[in-house]
Amino acid sequence: MEYKKILHGLDGSEGSFKALEHAVGLANRYDAELHTISVEEVPHYPGTVGEVVEAKQAANGTYAKAMQRARQMAQEQGIELQCHVLVGHEVKTIVELIKERGFDLLVIGFMGHSRLYDRVMGSTCQGLVRLAPCAVLVVK
Amino acid sequence: MSESPWLLAALWVGLALLASMISIRTAISVALIEILVGAVAGNLIPWVGTLIGMPAKLEPTPWINFLAGFGSILLTFLAGAEIEPDALKKHWKPALVIGFVSFLIPFLGAMAAAYWLLRWSMAASMIAGIALSTTSVAVVYAVMVETGLNTQDIGKLILACCFVMDLGTVLALGVGFANYNGWLVLFLGVSAALMPFAPNLTRHFLHHYEGQVSEPEIKLMLFMLFILGGLAAKANSEAVLPAYILGLVVAGELRHHKETVYHIRVAVFALLTPFYFLKAGALIQGSAIAQGALVILLLLLVKVAAKVLGVYPMAKFFRMDNRISMYTTLLMSTGLTFGTISAMFGLSRNLIDSSQYSTLVVVVIASAVVPTLIAQKWFQPQHELSEETANGV
Repeated sequence: MEYKKILHGLDGSEGSFKALEHAVGLANRYDAELHTISVEEVPHYPGTVGEVVEAKQAANGTYAKAMQRARQMAQEQGIELQCHVLVGHEVKTIVELIKERGFDLLVIGFMGHSRLYDRVMGSTCQGLVRLAPCAVLVVK
Repeated sequence: MSESPWLLAALWVGLALLASMISIRTAISVALIEILVGAVAGNLIPWVGTLIGMPAKLEPTPWINFLAGFGSILLTFLAGAEIEPDALKKHWKPALVIGFVSFLIPFLGAMAAAYWLLRWSMAASMIAGIALSTTSVAVVYAVMVETGLNTQDIGKLILACCFVMDLGTVLALGVGFANYNGWLVLFLGVSAALMPFAPNLTRHFLHHYEGQVSEPEIKLMLFMLFILGGLAAKANSEAVLPAYILGLVVAGELRHHKETVYHIRVAVFALLTPFYFLKAGALIQGSAIAQGALVILLLLLVKVAAKVLGVYPMAKFFRMDNRISMYTTLLMSTGLTFGTISAMFGLSRNLIDSSQYSTLVVVVIASAVVPTLIAQKWFQPQHELSEETANGV
């Protein structure tokens, strides 16, 4: 099995950077394109427009720093990282991008929520493993 | 409850903190979570108090009422100030028509349903009509941002329509229940005199004082809001009316001063709106919801059906295709902040009772969630993935 287009999920957490190390390694081994996606989730059912604006600005700041670090990590291994920032629901948006761009591997970090949270809300990892139309590597 | 204001403040701020944490974890708006936390605490605290033999209530005191009222005024001001004047100018004709009709038909529909089907009083029915005619600009805006439509013409048109609808709501609250006396004349006179000068005055203050630690430009806006709000209250009108209009009037100036808007938002979200939304929730009676489930369902259906009747034909008239027409209609069926403001206005003036208030607020919350889900699931317009390529970041 060879991977030609790899997508990595970047949320700024240490888990996602750990996953990036694996993604960079795989991209090198298979000479594959490496992309990273960050999804800004705006609050659902907001009471004010300001709430949405602030959330978006906060996410922009976080992702700008995370992408700079990610790009540097990839460059050090001789890989050119293509970054995408999209707005929307994390799982839905990542799945749509995979379908639209034809990625054949998704690499994500494990997000450690509490058991109760995962039971009630369902985790992003679970959602992606279930719905992604390609192979998924979850790095723990 | 303890009589110490600090302990009481700690309880309310503690609930606000809990709501913030839940909101961050779930990505659901803090406003909605605050209402829900307020509702749970408002119903749970008396029950627990009875259980342990210590009667207690999450009852708003006069100072909590003041902070909540102040919060609603500033929320309304910010709602007005968030408009894009250029978009409104560009789309003023369809925005005015769609916005007005989609306010009027749900207003009349919900009022008629409350009056004839539920046998509410005329005043209570009017409050129901106003509360259920609202559209949440914020909910619409969030969906627009998610779909990338906020940067397209159709998105700007929908948002402009929502602003017109909100204007209808504040006008109805401000004019519908006012006393037609000398105070009203004075209020209208001072408003008419102040509004034309407000943009220049604001521009002058922003130009000379923005960045000063004492924030004179924000104090100027508060001063104008309090003067107009105070006169409106004297006329038994509603302070949110001048607040919204003042927001609209100075929106063009504030657009270039994001730092000042940010400072206002910080103060509002951290200090004032938690009291407003928690109070809105705390006044909901759990028992009234259980007993009035069918009424809630009926009013929700009336709201959505009336919006379909009001908005859909207008959207078609302005040559939107079926999918976008239905999408627009459903988004305009959403409500939240202005709906709760209307319901609380009715409760505070004894135009509706606690049970009617609970019913209306639950319908308003349901209308923020249900139409959005349907719109996104079945009617979301096809669009290119709205990508903000980050390669230059």
